[in-house]
Amino acid sequence: MSVNKNMRILVVDDFQTMRRIVINLLNQLGFKNVTEAADGVQALDKVRTEQIDLIVSDWNMPNMTGIDFLRHIRTDEKLKATPFIMVTAEGKKENVIAAVQAGVNNYIVKPFNAATLKEKLIKVIGEF
Amino acid sequence: MTQEQQKSLQQQMARLDASTEAMVPMAEVRKLLDAVRSLLQGEFDEGEDFGNLLGELGEVARMISQAKRELRDFNPGVLQDEKLPEASDQLDAIVKTTEAATHKIMDNCERLTANLERARDRLMASTVAAQDADLMAGMEDAITEAGISVTEIYEACNFQDLTGQRIQKIVRTMREVERQILRMVIVFSLQKTDKAKQLDQERRDKLMTEVELLNGPQLPGQSMAQEDIDDILDALL
Repeated sequence: MSVNKNMRILVVDDFQTMRRIVINLLNQLGFKNVTEAADGVQALDKVRTEQIDLIVSDWNMPNMTGIDFLRHIRTDEKLKATPFIMVTAEGKKENVIAAVQAGVNNYIVKPFNAATLKEKLIKVIGEF
Repeated sequence: MTQEQQKSLQQQMARLDASTEAMVPMAEVRKLLDAVRSLLQGEFDEGEDFGNLLGELGEVARMISQAKRELRDFNPGVLQDEKLPEASDQLDAIVKTTEAATHKIMDNCERLTANLERARDRLMASTVAAQDADLMAGMEDAITEAGISVTEIYEACNFQDLTGQRIQKIVRTMREVERQILRMVIVFSLQKTDKAKQLDQERRDKLMTEVELLNGPQLPGQSMAQEDIDDILDALL
């Protein structure tokens, strides 16, 4: 089954520049239905009020970090199956392990390129 | 200390401990002080120890006094009130400037992408597509390559996020230094008026409430490469 490129993707990062980079790279890959949030609190509000099919989130953010946001998602009965990719500058082994334990589907370390983003998307949602 | 002195001291302390009055009876406190005094005299009466101890305490006092003088000459107030905030402001300005420049680059990339898509659509709809396949293929390749360049520009814009986070990490460290200097100034009561103290308290409150996001990106070498992370993911997922 092919991936629906009209899927709704939520990009979460406190840096507007980074949100724009990720959104534009997703657009370049053909995913145009993208929304954004500046921290975990805003993001949680979005996933609870909108249909979100995939989350691409930073780790270090004010109010609620990406890892806490992920834990909320995984403990919410309605949301727990939502694919979650962490995109972060936190490249230490313990961070990756903590993210996996929290239920992340994949992990991208910054700085990253479009090829890495595409590869991770394919791993999480399938070929497109 | 003789057994008798010890016993007397313990009795005095026990009486104070047992006291249920809101105010401790002064007479009992005096008795305890007398007992301690006589104990100290007993301990230090003969020897040079007491004199040595006083000498050492005097030396410590002299060193503290000298340190205070040196701190005053060093003028931590200027560093804390002007230099460090100024340096933080300069770094903040760098982040803002690079951020604005990055957004301008991305604005242009977005316009370029839109124009490339429009050019491709017009090309496909034109009669040229049917008449000249070579020309059409060449144009298509050029548009695709331009699109790849735009993607690479987006990728390169990662720098702003990373430099921004690193600079913010430095700013946070500088604020911590500022906070420590402030503490030092307060502890040694150096050149602070009431108004300045109130400002210090406000600044300290602000600094203390700042969220410790601190963790800027790791420096190259401190962070794992994507391939190493993928190995862990392959093993765990």
